[in-house]
Amino acid sequence: MSAPLLEVRGLSKHFSVRRRAGWTRKVHPLRAVDDVSFTLDAGETLGLVGESGCGKSTLGRTVLGLLAPTAGEVLFEGEHLTEGDPRLRRTAQIVFQDPYTSLPPKMRVGRIIAEPLLIHDLVPRADVTERVASLLRDVGLKREHASALPHQLSGGQRQRVGIARALAVEPKLIVADEAVSALDVSVQAQILNLLKDLQEQRGIALLFISHDLGVVRYMSHRIAVMYLGRIVELGPAVDLVEQPLHPYTRGLLAAVPRIDARRSAVRIESEPPNPVDPPEGCRFHPRCPIAQSRCSHDPPQLLDWLPGREAACHFALDGPDAPAPVAGDRLHPPGAAS
Amino acid sequence: MSDVVAAAAEQSAPKSTRAGRDVGRRILRSPLAMLGLVGTLLVLAAAVLAPWLSPHDPTSQNLAHILAPPIWAEGGTAEHLLGTDGLGRDVASRLLHGARNSLFVAVAAMLIGSGLGLVTGLVAGFFGGRVEALIMRLGDVQLAFPFILLAIAILGVVADRSALHLILVLGIPGWIIYARVVRSRVLAEREKEYVQAARAVGAGSWRRLFRYVFPSVWQVVPVIALLDVGFLIIMESTLAFLGLGLPPPSPTWGGILAEGRRNMVVSPWLPVLPGLAILVTVLSINLFGDGLAAVIDPRLRRGGMRRILPPSLTAASWHDPGTAARDESSPAWPVATGEGAPLLQVRDLRIDFPATESTVHAVRGIDFDLRRGETLGVVGESGSGKSVTATAILQLLDPPGRVSTGQILLDGEDLARASNRRMAQLRGRQLGMIFQNPAASLNPVLTIGYQMREALRQVTGCTRKEAAERSHRALLDVGIPDPARVARQYPFELSGGMNQRVMIAMALAASPRVLLADEPTTALDTTTQAQILRRLVDLTEEHEISLVLITHDIAVVAEYADTVMVLYAGEVCEYGPVRQVVDDPRHPYTRALLESVPRVETADERLVPIPGDLPDPRAQRTGCPFAARCPEVMDVCREVKPPRFDIGGRHDAACHLWAPDRVAGSKP
Repeated sequence: MSAPLLEVRGLSKHFSVRRRAGWTRKVHPLRAVDDVSFTLDAGETLGLVGESGCGKSTLGRTVLGLLAPTAGEVLFEGEHLTEGDPRLRRTAQIVFQDPYTSLPPKMRVGRIIAEPLLIHDLVPRADVTERVASLLRDVGLKREHASALPHQLSGGQRQRVGIARALAVEPKLIVADEAVSALDVSVQAQILNLLKDLQEQRGIALLFISHDLGVVRYMSHRIAVMYLGRIVELGPAVDLVEQPLHPYTRGLLAAVPRIDARRSAVRIESEPPNPVDPPEGCRFHPRCPIAQSRCSHDPPQLLDWLPGREAACHFALDGPDAPAPVAGDRLHPPGAAS
Repeated sequence: MSDVVAAAAEQSAPKSTRAGRDVGRRILRSPLAMLGLVGTLLVLAAAVLAPWLSPHDPTSQNLAHILAPPIWAEGGTAEHLLGTDGLGRDVASRLLHGARNSLFVAVAAMLIGSGLGLVTGLVAGFFGGRVEALIMRLGDVQLAFPFILLAIAILGVVADRSALHLILVLGIPGWIIYARVVRSRVLAEREKEYVQAARAVGAGSWRRLFRYVFPSVWQVVPVIALLDVGFLIIMESTLAFLGLGLPPPSPTWGGILAEGRRNMVVSPWLPVLPGLAILVTVLSINLFGDGLAAVIDPRLRRGGMRRILPPSLTAASWHDPGTAARDESSPAWPVATGEGAPLLQVRDLRIDFPATESTVHAVRGIDFDLRRGETLGVVGESGSGKSVTATAILQLLDPPGRVSTGQILLDGEDLARASNRRMAQLRGRQLGMIFQNPAASLNPVLTIGYQMREALRQVTGCTRKEAAERSHRALLDVGIPDPARVARQYPFELSGGMNQRVMIAMALAASPRVLLADEPTTALDTTTQAQILRRLVDLTEEHEISLVLITHDIAVVAEYADTVMVLYAGEVCEYGPVRQVVDDPRHPYTRALLESVPRVETADERLVPIPGDLPDPRAQRTGCPFAARCPEVMDVCREVKPPRFDIGGRHDAACHLWAPDRVAGSKP
């Protein structure tokens, strides 16, 4: 069996945070990403969802080598590519959230897209203009846009330029970090469909990071839910949204405003704790509606509770509207984790 | 260089001159900067043209004609306009050549200093670590060292002084001023996403530094350089005065001054004239430099919260058909009076932001009612005019924005015409406001409790003790479990969600009648948003406060509001009870808003995006604003602005599809 396109093994990224403690200052580790593992196949979209500070963007950047991991490994097709390796830059690319700050303000669009081609010497110099024009066409822009400066374009057009820049190296993986959150709703759908089409036509794998469950569900084959640096649930998009296993996923879904009918039940109370000192045991237990004494000291592992569906909760199948286990489906009965 | 770049360079020519013209126009508008520019240019011209302008050789002596007075003094001749010095040399010619020498030395020294400073600043800022520490400590040492003493020591030791020595001694120490500013700009720039993006496509450090960071930071250098030249002219003159300037007989202003001092008693103009030349030059350069800095860095420009009353309002011209081109056929929104009249009635509100080139018409004639205790959701994208409408109701539009026509009636009183004093009374007590970014609305150096108590006392005039009690209760109300502790904390110690709760508590504690909430939860997490919106809506219902909930997310409105107003490009598309509008949207834009956003609850159907972009807010408009992007566009849509056709049950849509004759005609 060939290796998956991307394999992340036990990846951690810690930052040091200085905090005042009386007269002295102490350095605390902030575990932005803490022991995260997952795989991503060629042409697959994995949605990464969570609230601010959960570490989803840090995870994306660590995968790309823009941040050095504290521990763990990132393997592309079974190979470990270091930061300086040009193969890494040609394999994995990124599309950023803010189309206003992610393009160099003084550089013309044509040059922005030509940069990766020139850096990696991908096409003969004489063909660069043609290649840029065809990339512009691929993302729904015109050849004439090459001579524009970023500020002369609309937000949607700028995001298309960012996508063209990422496509220039013909990557196998694109990390889309909140790629549509800064856009107006009427433009958002254009960019989502563009990313989806490019992905399907070219078999590019997407790591689609967003705080918006609706958007993630639309884009992804599988979804990973992060909470305070850890993946708490991972599974096929439809199953995860319709029958969430983890109480946090359930609370997140309940909090999304809906058009269909008024609901008043807000499951999750209070706010996420400070990531510098996360709670002992299960990190979600202080806010969890079904927490029991065990949750406060015994951190649950991410386990396969149903085929293809992982959750890090001791009571994944015991919640009020958890899916009923089919006989033989249950791989790990509650309690198996310890 | 690729062809792309060559093509881009061709294109760049007209655009950069446009930017240049813009800078020029702003300089022209500032009289002081203009004065500085003219003075600087005159001095520069004098320096460049000195050999041709000078009536005499500056070094040729005429001992028969020493200490001749200038033309205006008694005995002065047109031969020597400014007289002659102790050796009979023409002062005017010497001053002109002095300008040439002084400016040459100053500019050359500036080029050395700025060049060194730019490079060290770029390297220190971009690479950081030890390199940065070394460069910056070197700079600290140099700043601590008495520069003038060093210069005197070096120049005094050098055997045969030349212009080069002078330039080096003056120029090299200047690097640290440039290096510090450039470094801090690089530090800010290097963290931006576009530099990260360059790294992601594989650009090495030098490429990122020179191709990406450098173009964004170099602009700070010319301004410092200009002010530096002024400083260097004085330094050069000081050294020349001390006899350490250019070796004689080359005239410099400092040298002329020093020589003139010897004959000061007989010919007082001799030291005064070079002194004046130095004064005028340095003053001109500084004035121009300050003006240039203000143009390049808009933060230095003056601005503030001023309220500009439009001239049209003083003449009560809102019903003048000329200024308010209201469609006569539309069912008018008459102003209701008496019992049962809506609390807030907005009629034909238009808001403009006049600019030099073209005015932005942010809001183009909107009408709506807000009833007592009602929650009105205002939905729109950026540029729809939703936030501007709220700030107009509070009369807090940023200048130059103004209400050009229309009425904002709060209980019959027109806020668009209310005095500043009256508005100050109404804000807080009658009209509350919650903004998107709570941290920016709270004072970072005062505790939450202090700010709440002071605001309450200001608004309601209650006692300190009452204010403390009321704010305690208000904090409990918004779901803060331990108000006493939060009251002692500073805004930065609380999360965004907590700060927004505090803002809501502050707004509600004064029990206003209308609360305007502008994207109150957009910056917050989903789970926090749900908690806060629920609290907000419950509390306003409980206290019978009318709530205007402004958001880009129609789902938020669907879940929390009673009535919805959909805005597009400054105009109302659809207005009506929430369930009616959301379940049976009539305007194609409302429908598109509902269909183009992926939702958790919707199936996997492909999204139907709205093609194109928002219309230009400056353009004059005929027809429907949505016509260019509408899937159901008809000919009439491009020519006639659709009035708000009544659908029934307080529901209306500004779309020709719902014209009564059309609806009647389509029925079998």
